[in-house]
Amino acid sequence: MARQRNPSKQMRILLDALSAERRQWRHGYELMKETGLSSGTLYPLLMRMTDQGLVESEWREPAQPGRPARHAYRLTATGFALAQQGPGDRAGVPFRASPA
Amino acid sequence: MMRPPSPSFFARAVMAVAMCCLGESRRDWAAAMRGEFAAAAEDGEALPFAIGCLGAAARELLTREEGRFTLTNYTLALGLMVPMAALQIGCALFGFPYLYPGQGGLAGALLEGAAHEPLIRGLYQAAVPALALLLLLLGLAHLRIAWAMLDRDWAQVRRTGSLMLAAMVTLIMFMGVFFIDSSQALLQAAVLAIELATLWMVMKRGSQIHPGAAAEHPG
Repeated sequence: MARQRNPSKQMRILLDALSAERRQWRHGYELMKETGLSSGTLYPLLMRMTDQGLVESEWREPAQPGRPARHAYRLTATGFALAQQGPGDRAGVPFRASPA
Repeated sequence: MMRPPSPSFFARAVMAVAMCCLGESRRDWAAAMRGEFAAAAEDGEALPFAIGCLGAAARELLTREEGRFTLTNYTLALGLMVPMAALQIGCALFGFPYLYPGQGGLAGALLEGAAHEPLIRGLYQAAVPALALLLLLLGLAHLRIAWAMLDRDWAQVRRTGSLMLAAMVTLIMFMGVFFIDSSQALLQAAVLAIELATLWMVMKRGSQIHPGAAAEHPG
């Protein structure tokens, strides 16, 4: 079911960071440094935005052998549309309600 | 070439707890956090990163139904079943005073010094090993149930619960017959009723959240 809701301040910061390079896959730690959000804020946001269909993710092979694979994120078309709208318009973009 | 700093034991321990808290439905996210933990460690930010992840995992635990159920299940298993097991085993091995009339421990149960003591001493002494064995079995059954709850093996919880019920009914009958004061037997019955009702609710909730769980542990 679609639900309309205004994004929080932290979500707007993340939307802005991700929309600056729309096609670019971004790592979580890189997003933390860029947005100034802590891991305790960033990850719940990313989880919920992925559940709502605003962000897509994929696994990336590690840059160096022996390191764990890394998750990378970018905005979906819905997420990008939400990011493009002004704060007053953002309530108009429907996105999926996250599962309970 | 300088090697990146390795995360401290404490940071790794905090991260490991955060991973455990995230549960099955967020396993991918736990792996994602672990991947970034290595990157944060290179910048010397392992501990703040791990603490943040623990906060995120704790919030997930409380906001998701599965997380709340996991928390309840662990609390009941570790906060109710394991202490009850310790109490029962303690009663079986050492005879805690609460179990016997007049707070007098096993000696009180034997009515030491009372006028009719010589008449029933032999009978009581013969019954004590059987009582102690029943209590020991009940204690071990509590441990088995706690393990099965953590394992979400509801079929095993049901089986062990039935065995506990049978053992407890026998124990209560023993206590009702041998101890003149039947309040101790009633106390045991009340505790058992609360435990079984709690277990029933947890099993019901567990089967609603994880419908396939019973099938995963057939028999």
